[in-house]
Amino acid sequence: MTCNYDFHQPQWCPGCGNFDLLVCVKDALCGANLGPRDFIMVTGIGQASKLGFSVKCNLFNGLHGRALPLATGVNMANHKVKLISVSGDGDYYAEGGNHFIHAARRNLNIAVFAGDNRVYGLTKGQASPTASPEFTTPIHPEGVGGKPLNPALLALASGATFVARSFTGNKEELTGLMKQAIAHRGFALVDIMSPCITFNKTNTFGWFKQRAKPVGPEHDASSFDAAVSLVSREQETIPTGLLYKADRPVYSDRFSALKGEALARLAPAYSPDRVKPLFEKYK
Amino acid sequence: MNHINVVIAGAAGQGVQSAGDILGKTLLRLGYQVFIAQDYQSRVRGGHNFISVRFSDEPLAAPVRRADYLLALNEESVGLRLGELAPEGLAFCLEAAKGSRTDQRLRALPDSVGPEAARGEKFAAVKLLSMLFAGLGFKPEVLAGSVKKIFEGRLKPELLRANLDAVAAVAAFIEAKDVRAPAFQPKAAARGGPSAGRLLVSGNDAVSLGMAAAGAGVYAGYPMTPSTSILNTLGTAGPRLGIAVEQAEDEIAALNIAIGGSYAGVRSACGSSGAGLSLMAESIGLAGITETPVVIYDGQRAGPAIGMATRTEQSDLLPLVHSSHGEFPRAVISPADHYDSFYLAAEAFNIADAWQVPVFFVNDLGQAGSERSVEEYDLSRVRVDRGLFAPEPAGTAMLARYAVTESGVSPRAVPALSNWLVSCDSHEHDENGRLTDDKDNRVRQQAKRMRKLAGMAASFPGPEILNPGKPDCLLAWGSTVGPLLEAVNMRGAAFSVAVFRYLFPLDPEKVRRALAGFSRLITVEQNYTGQLGKLLAMDCGLRMHSHLGKYDGRNLTVEDALELLGSLEGGKP
Ligand SMILES: Cc1ncc(C[n+]2csc(CCOP(=O)(O)OP(=O)(O)O)c2C)c(N)n1
Repeated sequence: MTCNYDFHQPQWCPGCGNFDLLVCVKDALCGANLGPRDFIMVTGIGQASKLGFSVKCNLFNGLHGRALPLATGVNMANHKVKLISVSGDGDYYAEGGNHFIHAARRNLNIAVFAGDNRVYGLTKGQASPTASPEFTTPIHPEGVGGKPLNPALLALASGATFVARSFTGNKEELTGLMKQAIAHRGFALVDIMSPCITFNKTNTFGWFKQRAKPVGPEHDASSFDAAVSLVSREQETIPTGLLYKADRPVYSDRFSALKGEALARLAPAYSPDRVKPLFEKYK
Repeated sequence: MNHINVVIAGAAGQGVQSAGDILGKTLLRLGYQVFIAQDYQSRVRGGHNFISVRFSDEPLAAPVRRADYLLALNEESVGLRLGELAPEGLAFCLEAAKGSRTDQRLRALPDSVGPEAARGEKFAAVKLLSMLFAGLGFKPEVLAGSVKKIFEGRLKPELLRANLDAVAAVAAFIEAKDVRAPAFQPKAAARGGPSAGRLLVSGNDAVSLGMAAAGAGVYAGYPMTPSTSILNTLGTAGPRLGIAVEQAEDEIAALNIAIGGSYAGVRSACGSSGAGLSLMAESIGLAGITETPVVIYDGQRAGPAIGMATRTEQSDLLPLVHSSHGEFPRAVISPADHYDSFYLAAEAFNIADAWQVPVFFVNDLGQAGSERSVEEYDLSRVRVDRGLFAPEPAGTAMLARYAVTESGVSPRAVPALSNWLVSCDSHEHDENGRLTDDKDNRVRQQAKRMRKLAGMAASFPGPEILNPGKPDCLLAWGSTVGPLLEAVNMRGAAFSVAVFRYLFPLDPEKVRRALAGFSRLITVEQNYTGQLGKLLAMDCGLRMHSHLGKYDGRNLTVEDALELLGSLEGGKP
């Protein structure tokens, strides 16, 4: 199909990884045959989240960290519509950490594209949960310390059924993974290494490029153990590509009310009389 | 008013609740009006809990403290509750629970009464119920029928048999001098049927039914007393009625789920108690600025923080009027009884849809957990109005979701089910829902949203004035209204009572007109500071003469209300 999602001009710094992310999102949507009215984009707050304003589509730009519960509500009302979420590492893994875990556990049918620049871009350079221990900021002049959060491992442990990692410097791989994530029925995370050229002088484009290495054919993405072992191994390179994929009932499958038409179609016709049988219990 | 009040007391896990259920349902089916109030501690086993089952030939809207009968399931309950037994009342207990007490009103049942298989404290509830039934002159078969109905399938057949045999054996034990059949007969209800066309519902049952009747399709919450039973009721009814109900990971998620559901085209609600409402604060503003209709249930309990988990209070009014940073329109409404709990809960969705705002439906624990008999709700009275929608465009087009209008309300559309592309934004945004901090746009959009307040206030009824024309007026909302009205009527209606259901936004003119001419305005609320009075001062320029506050966490009883009135008549406060 011919695709045109062009909308507002984004305002990122020249060279920001988000530009590549935007190109790949649009290509993946087009490749997935989703027209602007065929999906709903749910974003949070951060530089990556602003991507939503540059895609012509249905958009709900919610609060910092709260995109996923909002998407859960959208899914309850309309389990037929494809959900896409874009935001940053701070949004998904810090402020929204609890929601990330539970959306994955429920296997909410959603493609989650996390622009992981290992820093807070929008608020100008604080450490994110994925920042390395040596990363320094005015708040952390002696380094962040601790252990960086591992998004792929967190997603696996939480029950995500599609876990992938990519790099904005490898658009072909990224677009392909995004397309697969959109096609996947369930919670699909693509954690995207994306340079913040202004506030992260440690994890630069070059730094990511040197380390991002596509997984070889020997990796069995259908094996949970293989995926956990791959993503938890400490090594110099960072494996990219599809790390894990499984079939599990999606969130809406647990509701018999969500077996057929979307509630958004059915509920407006609900008559108050349907409550009458409930009265019996109170007689 | 003709009434009999039965107090059933014991430890958690002893069957106080089941005994109350059986008694309540039986009385309902005999045609009596019933009001059941709970007094329980936040524990699963032990402690001291009691429920008051009050019945009458007239509708009841309040609990009373004084007991005509006490069923004490353990010795501690005899000691703790005998003091509230009427001089001519009767207390029933098992022999073992009597201790060395010699109170003339105490009737102890020897353990030898009833079959071998029904011995000990485990059978106290059913045996004492049987004593009560005999004392009231009700046939034991009626109780046996209720026991069977509730426990058939839940108890092993031999255990059920032991219970039924105990009922029959105990009934014969009561002596003729202890039989005090009610001096009043139930008045016939409008319709027939097993319960005379009436329902015995808790406040929360009524709210759940009201929400379902309004066509709610998405509900989310995180368990917290006293809102959990709505999650249970709607969750259980969900498969049959087509309602998706979720136990969210926290209250922030619960409200965001409701906002998402509403954006996607379904009437959506969430619920919690004060602590959960505090967590929701930022998201309440999200509903405000994105103009997403949503109903938020608050079951108030004694705060702050964890406060007293199973105790009531009315202390969330001002917090809800102000909750969340920034300025945006919202509505706060509150049911004054179990009829409002149904009809007003349904109406909350019309308000949310008409004005595209968050609507707080504020109940209190006392009312949420109390059960009363009501005439079966008239479903034809439930109006469903989804508000303004944009006419469908020929092809895909961007909706001016925040088009500036005189009322402040802009037509909406359902994303993915219409050709409109719908963009909602938590930032300040332009008419199309795109973020901007342009100053002229800010003024246009903020003024548009805030205009809804005046429109809503104008559309809301003012306070209802009962017993109009008295020198003084008592102002009340929520569960205090019932006991206050009964007390006022017992005193020969010496006070007018203003009942506030629509608490925010207020139309100052309307409120001032309703309250004009009284020499004293006195708020009666279950809080320390007199929040309704403060709201009326702030928004309507009214000065209260005084505030009668009760903040011990217990339901306001008719006796409590009489004492409060007494303090007024004595010239104080
Ligand atoms: C409740 C709340 N706290 C803090 C903020 C401020 N804030 C906005 S975005 C952000 C973090 C941005 O980092 P990230 O999510 O990694 O996105 P990026 O800008 O790097 O793409 C913060 C702290 C906010 N908007 N809301």
